[in-house]
Amino acid sequence: MAQDMKRLFDERLGRYHAAMSLEPHDRIPIATGSNYFAEVYSGNTKQETIYNPDKWLQAELKFCQDFPEVDVLRDNRIYGPLFDALDVKTYKLPGRDLPADTQFQFVECEYMKEDEYDDLINDPTGFMIGTLLPRLLGELANKGTGRSYMAMWKGGVAMAQFAAIMRNRGMVLEQQCGMPQPMAGFFLAPFDVLADALRGLNATLIDMFRKPDKVLAACDVLVQEMAHMALSMADPLKRYPIFVPTHKAIFMSPEQFDTFYWPSFKKLMEILIDAGYSIRAYLEGDWSRHWHHMRELPKGRVLCDIDTQGDIYQAKKDLEGYQCVAGGVKDSMLILGTTDQVRENVRELCQTVGKAGGYIISAGCSFPYDAKPENFRAMVDAVMEYGWHDKTIKAKPKAAPPASKSETLKPRNLLTPWEVKKGELGKIMGDEDLIRKHWDQLESLAHTFVWQWVL
Amino acid sequence: MGELAHALSNMEEKRVYEIIDKQIAEGANPMDIIQECNDGMIRVGELFSEGTYFISQLIYSAEILKKVMSKLDPLLSGLKVSGSVRGKVIIGTVKGDIHDIGKNIVATLLRGSGFEVIDLGVDVPSEKFVDAVKETNAKILGLSALLNFTYPAMKEVVEAISAAGLREKVKIIIGGAPVNEQVREFTGADHYAKDAVEGINMCKEIYS
Repeated sequence: MAQDMKRLFDERLGRYHAAMSLEPHDRIPIATGSNYFAEVYSGNTKQETIYNPDKWLQAELKFCQDFPEVDVLRDNRIYGPLFDALDVKTYKLPGRDLPADTQFQFVECEYMKEDEYDDLINDPTGFMIGTLLPRLLGELANKGTGRSYMAMWKGGVAMAQFAAIMRNRGMVLEQQCGMPQPMAGFFLAPFDVLADALRGLNATLIDMFRKPDKVLAACDVLVQEMAHMALSMADPLKRYPIFVPTHKAIFMSPEQFDTFYWPSFKKLMEILIDAGYSIRAYLEGDWSRHWHHMRELPKGRVLCDIDTQGDIYQAKKDLEGYQCVAGGVKDSMLILGTTDQVRENVRELCQTVGKAGGYIISAGCSFPYDAKPENFRAMVDAVMEYGWHDKTIKAKPKAAPPASKSETLKPRNLLTPWEVKKGELGKIMGDEDLIRKHWDQLESLAHTFVWQWVL
Repeated sequence: MGELAHALSNMEEKRVYEIIDKQIAEGANPMDIIQECNDGMIRVGELFSEGTYFISQLIYSAEILKKVMSKLDPLLSGLKVSGSVRGKVIIGTVKGDIHDIGKNIVATLLRGSGFEVIDLGVDVPSEKFVDAVKETNAKILGLSALLNFTYPAMKEVVEAISAAGLREKVKIIIGGAPVNEQVREFTGADHYAKDAVEGINMCKEIYS
């Protein structure tokens, strides 16, 4: 049994890797980045998914049994108790602030003020800890109080719990279902850090006109912070790509994108690719004016999720031979359409954009919560009928390419580096490396903890 | 197009304020200034429709206009401003969804085009839409959403409007990222607008 699951895991991951890398494989993978449908398929509320890890896993196991043709499942980054411990202001959660069966939603505000750019640019982490976190995390609003210290401690523990839940979940899915994940670890494009949780969309777009130099300088420092965060959360075995949801590029003209969005985003992706990782980029909205830039990155290293508003046919045309594209199944059709419509939609996709590989079946970056089960089944069946390239090819999981030393990535700017601590300790009586290793690791984890709240 | 309208449509923020400060100092009629700003905003809308401008320019020009209005406010007290209102439009993000970027852009452009906008906010239940239609007699109801689980919520609003006997009195337009013709058909709305400017043009047509 275990051997069967290992074989299945390798078969699925091999297919996923090959499609992503533009190499030959047997059929079009069914591999969305976010499979919301899997979470609700067995009857869980959306609150249960983020508050009850056992129920979440049970739902996924049931999904894997009923849809064994699906190649990867999904990742999740919201664990309710962690968000409660810190009172995360940027999200409304199902069952807490929203009805139990509504999806979680992001709350955008001007958390960073117009005159704080220099503080961010000169000392990014110091600014996060001293100024921004008390605004983003309600429990830290009263700095220095007992309650705020307790909240930090609880947050750290909840984070470790969450990591354990994810590790266990990944292992169970791998061993019991032979199911790989679509991605591990995440980051944001520097411009989106500003335009999501720091300044918000309106303010950032206006800043772009009024203080372009500050916006660019901020994006530049955020490259480093996002790169370190992404690398510290990524799959150590480098089997899975790192995820980046893009949000605000679609509100910009091509010139604005080329000036403000792309240079820092590209630099950041190059660092991660140099480190041996691939990237899965959710191109939210209609990216047709921007996605040609993905050709500038190494071939087959950035899987591009094309959203419902984007044209999958155009995306395939523009990126063919450069990057793999995912998408094409219409969200509204999965939710409202008939099985015949879905089947016809998928057949057409398989025989056009899917024909020569470099293509993954997905809807607009996710399978929607409210997809009708019979429509999801019709989609899967249509891929099994029309999605084959060559049944004799058995693609194996790819070993990560060797990491090259990135010139662009600077050492992480730590708040309390070991040298400082060592100075305070005075003479080290025993093995310094043994102490240092753990100090560095915890310090780095703490920085990741701080920066994750920009998402 | 006058110098002011030109500066506004070109995103020359400082120039806009210079011209207005000068015009105010010279004792210009604030209603004329507003009229010229509207001309500028109409040009912005045209440039958006042509694909020259993007949302960033819509938002920035709306921000400039907001500052202009705050300069003019003291001069407007006592003047009747509502003379040129084109018509009323009710707008809101449907129940379950708390996103408002798209709705706000549409509301700003509608106001810029001379409509009176009744903005019900986000996560708006059906009854609130029904009450607003009853109270205001607006001929247009705009429903906004970002998330694709809101299709039933949109349909519910349309059904509630019908149940209240108001369906013939109001045109319902839906808009937002997950909306298309299939969704319009499902919800029973009259139109779907693929972007903000198309939505505004529909409103102009309905009130013409």
